[in-house]
Amino acid sequence: MLKITGGKVYDPANEINGQIKDLCIDDNGRFVESVSGGRTIDATGMIIFPGGVDVHTHVAGGAMNFARAMTPEDHRRTQAFIRTQSRRSGLGGMAPTTFATGYLYAGMGFTTVNEAAVPVLSARHTHEELADIPIVDKATLTLMANNEIMLDQMQAGEYERAKNVVAWYLWAAKSYGVKAVNPGGVAAWKWGSDAKQLNDPIAGYSSLTPGKIVTMLATICDDLQLPHPMHLHCNNLGAPGNISTTLDTLKHLEGHRAHIAHSQYHAYGGDDWDTMCSATSQLAEYFNTHPNITTDAGAVLFGDTVTITADGPWQHLLYKLTGRKWGNLDVENETGCGIVPYTYRPSNLVNAVQWASGLELMLLIKSPWQVFLSTDHPNGGCFWRYPEIIQLLMCADFRKECIAKLPDKIKNRITLPEIDREYTLYEVATSMSAGPARALGLHQKGNLGIGCDADLVIYEEEIDIARMFSHPRYVIKAGEIVIEDGDIRETPHGREFLVKPSYAPETDEFMRPLFEDCYTMQFDNYPVEIERIENPDVRILPGS
Amino acid sequence: MGGKVTCTLGEVKQRADFIVYWGGNPAECHPRHFTKYTIMQKSKFLPRGRKDRTMVLVDIRETKSAKAADIFLQVKPGKDFELITILRALIKDQHVGDEQIAETGMTRAGLDDLVHRMKSCKFGVFFFGMGLSMTRGKHMNSAALLTLAAEMNAFTKFVAMPMRGHGNVTGADVIMRWQTGYPFGITFNRGYPRYNPGEFSTVDVLVRGDCDAAFIIGADPGATMPQPAIDHLARIPTICLDPHVTHTSRLARVHITTAAQGISAPGTAYRMDELPLPLKPALKSPYPSDEEVVRRINEAIAKKPFWLPDGSQPQVVTAIG
Amino acid sequence: MTLQIINNATCTFCGCVCDDIQLHHDEVRIHEAKKACVLGTAWFLNHTAEKKYPDALIDGKEATVEEAIQMAATLLHEADMPLVYGMSNTTCEAQKECVAMADILGGLLDSHTSL
Repeated sequence: MLKITGGKVYDPANEINGQIKDLCIDDNGRFVESVSGGRTIDATGMIIFPGGVDVHTHVAGGAMNFARAMTPEDHRRTQAFIRTQSRRSGLGGMAPTTFATGYLYAGMGFTTVNEAAVPVLSARHTHEELADIPIVDKATLTLMANNEIMLDQMQAGEYERAKNVVAWYLWAAKSYGVKAVNPGGVAAWKWGSDAKQLNDPIAGYSSLTPGKIVTMLATICDDLQLPHPMHLHCNNLGAPGNISTTLDTLKHLEGHRAHIAHSQYHAYGGDDWDTMCSATSQLAEYFNTHPNITTDAGAVLFGDTVTITADGPWQHLLYKLTGRKWGNLDVENETGCGIVPYTYRPSNLVNAVQWASGLELMLLIKSPWQVFLSTDHPNGGCFWRYPEIIQLLMCADFRKECIAKLPDKIKNRITLPEIDREYTLYEVATSMSAGPARALGLHQKGNLGIGCDADLVIYEEEIDIARMFSHPRYVIKAGEIVIEDGDIRETPHGREFLVKPSYAPETDEFMRPLFEDCYTMQFDNYPVEIERIENPDVRILPGS
Repeated sequence: MGGKVTCTLGEVKQRADFIVYWGGNPAECHPRHFTKYTIMQKSKFLPRGRKDRTMVLVDIRETKSAKAADIFLQVKPGKDFELITILRALIKDQHVGDEQIAETGMTRAGLDDLVHRMKSCKFGVFFFGMGLSMTRGKHMNSAALLTLAAEMNAFTKFVAMPMRGHGNVTGADVIMRWQTGYPFGITFNRGYPRYNPGEFSTVDVLVRGDCDAAFIIGADPGATMPQPAIDHLARIPTICLDPHVTHTSRLARVHITTAAQGISAPGTAYRMDELPLPLKPALKSPYPSDEEVVRRINEAIAKKPFWLPDGSQPQVVTAIG
Repeated sequence: MTLQIINNATCTFCGCVCDDIQLHHDEVRIHEAKKACVLGTAWFLNHTAEKKYPDALIDGKEATVEEAIQMAATLLHEADMPLVYGMSNTTCEAQKECVAMADILGGLLDSHTSL
């Protein structure tokens, strides 16, 4: 039991904006009206947020582990967590080890993370890694938009079959929802090609287009009543002028729920690298008039990182552009992934446009319930640098100082210098916690109301915003104090959220021969056993 | 250059119309590789199976695998790196002298033909074995072949994959990477993982006599390592876990018999393309599993005083540089 | 006696890790490993559930598992620079415990890969 008194509470889910309020937590790790006995934390003068929720990150699985293998030079120079009697050692940096991932997220007040790209084939591996990420609760999204068994059904116009196949895969992967990456483009990459136009048939298919995949998959997610809508990485990521692709994609989503991942990478104007500019105002305008769609920023911070994405063709381009290491892993029938280390430089005009675009989106999209804090870790920057972004959002003067350091040629390419908006604490709490929790359909998260999970973070108010958000005074996870005065106190195991959608019982027998055609493992060995999930929290979805 | 351009084995089964085995002998070391994953499979994209695929074997001698190959290229021992480098030049139409080609045991016509086939295939793959990665040049050879595969993507789809042996060695690699950041050759002697093959790799550690105790599991270095390394294992307290009493058990202070993985012990193993597969043991062993024994040893160690001095705070160290 | 059958069993002898093996066994030994290659068949048929070896040996003398575990913990804990090595022929679950062992000991950790 725990009581927290006197703090200024920012709880957007309950429209509490800085009021002084006591919070009580019972032995089940939930908020209750009152408790008697137990520890009391005097939070007078301090700021209380619901624990952070990362709607889009890459922290575990084959791709992240590939990135770890490719970046020993970064492990050597990065933050090290020393072994203690009770706590495992670890390394931070751009591709942190599992244990360090938990310490680093909790260390800045985040208590729930969504691993946004899992091939079913490596789902077993991903869950094993997630079990080794302490403290935080987790969810995973399954890569579907290039799954050839599903695409074949869509090509044949077999919507019901396609829906059953998706539901079957989600349960096989023990997943929380659907991720779509470069629909059709990764399948085309298996032949060294890509899919950049929404209405052109994709390689290997006569009439199936990325646009049709987008619409059908969004419909499937809605029909299956998934708590989180389709989580979409649009076609044509990173390319100058791709705003037209993105807007075209959004048109294919009319009438559906959807979450657009890392929209910074999809909001560029211009014709080529020399003329590339920000087109965030157009994209923000769309979001401002379409409350059915949410997004996360995918903001870029200057410095070293490693890029990881299922978007194989884009990574091949990035390798050719940079001449740096290139990792690629195509996954049979399902998807691919690429890994390229990258350094964002303020002196590089393209990088400068990317840096500004991420911030512009967060500032131009009016409702923080629609745009969430993210760097698409580790693609735009490492998650443990989120406090730097919060500072940029909250302090217009600091932003201006940073803009002044960019090359002069940047001026007509971005709109950031004209934006004066500053995030309030309430808006920050919405964007880093309440908003992403609601978008994920995790109603017990990002919410300090009675009955919700007692995940919260307590900051001491400071002038230096980045410091304040990177050094919480207390972090409380499920009622347990896990961080206190900068020290890791406890490293409990978190839960994993997953859904059990319903599908036609004959789907198993429908899948078996198709599976045996293209896979190399046995059908019966493929689904992840529920016993392998550490503390599963299964939501059974209604039958359709 | 670095990295790896690869895929899961099902991609090879589905798509690869050009398959090169380099310094490996799958016919004898991975007997089902041909039939399950590569040349013999029919697929949606390669409906005629073997007829739709070309197989090349590059090795220093004509092994049993050569019988399965359409083209056998006999490279001179120790000249793999040179041959790969020549191929990297030829695919880019750079000049290579006749003498340089002759040095590798190849002919210009043979290499021109190989380059033509590499560029005109739809999906090419290099599988490389210990004949490449453990001979003169070692990891430099592997890196060169991985680079060649990456560079081939300027022309067509191409991937590369090591032919890993030794049961679940891939699992060890994968787990060490997610828990420590590094795949092997690790020390925790500063309380956090550091990596330096050559300094922290076992043969070097043992030959130099650096370690003062050894815990050996799922391996028999007493039978396979150089004599000075074995001598050191016999000199220090060695603990050995194995389903059999092995050479290592005989020189160890402590041997514990354990259940064999996948036969009488359950769990998980990783395939060479890093896919995890569940184990389904058929038998009930009279012995405990490795997992149980190591966990119990860890519990016993945890009851003893921790090696960091008493009262020392958990701390974060930022290395400089 | 009729043999029991395990379908889709996984062979860990080589890096192919074939998972389509059908094992026919009588609880003591495996009599047939269908679909396994010559190496895999030898692997499955050569391991039995018989008690061929002592539970444990300390300095060459038979000991109980518990005694051996305590002895192992003492020797490893006393060492300044213990080495944890091997991990090829074992499960991922055991491998995780091995990494944990090197971590708590402040020791060295290495696999066959470094050879």
